[in-house]
Parts: sequence; structure tokens; C-alpha cells
Amino acid sequence: MARPVSSSDAPSDGHHALRAAGLEPDPVIEAYKAGVDRTLLRENLRLSPTERVRKLIALQELAEEARRAGAAAHRGR
Amino acid sequence: MTDFGALVKALNEGDVDFVIVGGLAAAVHGSARLTQDVDCVYSRTPANLERLVAALRGHGPYLRGAPPGLPFEWSVATIERGLNFTLTTDMGDLDLLGEIPGGGDYDALRPQAVEVVLFGHRCLCLDLAPLIRAKRAAGRPKDLEALAELEALLAARGPSRDLA
Repeated sequence: MARPVSSSDAPSDGHHALRAAGLEPDPVIEAYKAGVDRTLLRENLRLSPTERVRKLIALQELAEEARRAGAAAHRGR
Repeated sequence: MTDFGALVKALNEGDVDFVIVGGLAAAVHGSARLTQDVDCVYSRTPANLERLVAALRGHGPYLRGAPPGLPFEWSVATIERGLNFTLTTDMGDLDLLGEIPGGGDYDALRPQAVEVVLFGHRCLCLDLAPLIRAKRAAGRPKDLEALAELEALLAARGPSRDLA
């Protein structure tokens, strides 16, 4: 199971985790982190790997249905 | 649409030695991003190539994006002549990679993988830190958002964890 996420997991702690894994922070990637939805990630970390992939499948089905609906709407114009 | 469970099951039940990488590995680690295919690095030992060919033989593997009707033969000889194969199958899209930038081949990735249970099947998935390293090494602009998310996951989760 994922460990509970605490307030010490704030974005500023990310550099410590990166360095512990032998990686240096990259300024371009850092700039993109502002757009990351951490709430969504915390939700995912509470799930099992299979549950995470099931969410991916649901997302895939939604995207497929949206594409189908969009194509049908274009044909109906 | 890709049937992730069926692909994992086919490879697993075929005793294929492989490590899940790419977008599916990211999803296993908690990524919320959409991916359309299964990327895996396979062992290129002769015995494993035999098992890989047998595992996918009944699923119509064919080169993705190639015109229909090409004389593509799914065989050990074909795999031996190439390294990376982007395939369509009746279970969905499957990228079979002999090696990846920043990670290497199956033997190099195996110790950097964690065992996960997916749809009831035990399989190997590249751990989060080496997945980040590989994506960084690929150097593709389209991966920048994904990398930001993976590094945020690493910060939230810690560098290493048993997922099984």
C-alpha cells in the first residue's frame, strides 16, 4: 500500500527525492511541475497497480467515446 | 482500444521475460496520463524469443502503420533481424523494445524493475526512478509534462517501493 502523503511531501521536497534517486533537478522539468495535479496523484497512490490501470482503461474508453461522438457530430453537419 | 489486461496475460502466460516500461509503467506508479499502448523491453535470449513468438502467434501481430498485405512473418527469425517492433495485435498496440535509451536491454533493466500484480498476473515493471532516467534520456519534448508528473510522484512516494 502507498504510504500516506504528508505535508512534508510539498513540491519543494521533490529535489531531495530526486537526488536520493541519483537524479539532478532539471530546470525545464521544474517549470512544468506547476501544472501537475498533485491531488490526482495522491488519489492514485492510494490505489493498487491494477486499480490504477483500470482507471487508465476508463480514461481510454472516455477518450474513445469522445472521439466517436465528435466524428458523428461532424458527419451530421 | 488496447486491452492492457489481455496483453499482460498473454505475455505472462507465455512465460515471456519482459519489463513493462513507458506509459503503462507510469500508470502503474500512479500517473494520471493517458497512454494507448503497452511498451515492454523483452529478453533477446533464443529461448525467450521462442516464447514471445508463441505467446503472440494467435493474436495477429503486424507492423503498426504498415500497409496491409506486406509479407510480414511473425517468427524468431524476424525478431532476430530487428530490435524494436511497433505492433498491432487483436489485443491492441504493443511496442516490443530490445533496449531503451538511458536504460539498456532486459538484463540491464531487470534489477531496476519491481514486481507488480496486474490483473492477477505477476510481472516486472520498471521502477519509478529508472523510468524517469529513461524518459530523460529519450530527450523528447513531448515527455516534459510526463516527466514533471513522474518526478512529483517520486517526491510524494519516495524513491523505491515494493508494488506487489
